[in-house]
Amino acid sequence: MRHLLAAFLLLSLTNALTFTPAQTQKPEVAKTSLKVGDVAPDFALLSDQWKTVKLSDYRGKKNVFLAIYVLAFTGG
Amino acid sequence: MDSPAANAAFAKQININFPLLSDMNKKMLKEYGILKGYDVQNETYQWAQRANIVIDKNGVIQHIEEGDSAVDPNTAMSVCTDLHKKQTTK
Repeated sequence: MRHLLAAFLLLSLTNALTFTPAQTQKPEVAKTSLKVGDVAPDFALLSDQWKTVKLSDYRGKKNVFLAIYVLAFTGG
Repeated sequence: MDSPAANAAFAKQININFPLLSDMNKKMLKEYGILKGYDVQNETYQWAQRANIVIDKNGVIQHIEEGDSAVDPNTAMSVCTDLHKKQTTK
């Protein structure tokens, strides 16, 4: 009887594994439509000093390196 | 998509001298087309694709890297350096 129970448990386990639907779907891959040579769309974002920084603030003054990182600085 | 407060704490911690920006309403990310959606257990979560973009003084895009290739900033850095050299020798 113990053997039978063990077999049943094993079966239900494999069933659970087989029939669990995939929980995660393939991520929708974002691809920017921007190209080299395009004028970068202006933006206004809050800095770490709570000041609004616009891309256009740098127009005619500085080159801009935008590094978009996700939760890179929080250890998350 | 870190908050300004989280960014400020981090900026202080590692002593950086450039602004860390937050796109809390994801407006800029949407406009740039780098917001990525993940469906996990019937919920959609959105976060940014990693990207490095170099924009020159005239607001023109000079370099774009996305995804895994954007993890290494060296290519974009050298684009910046070349750009700066070109502009100063003109």
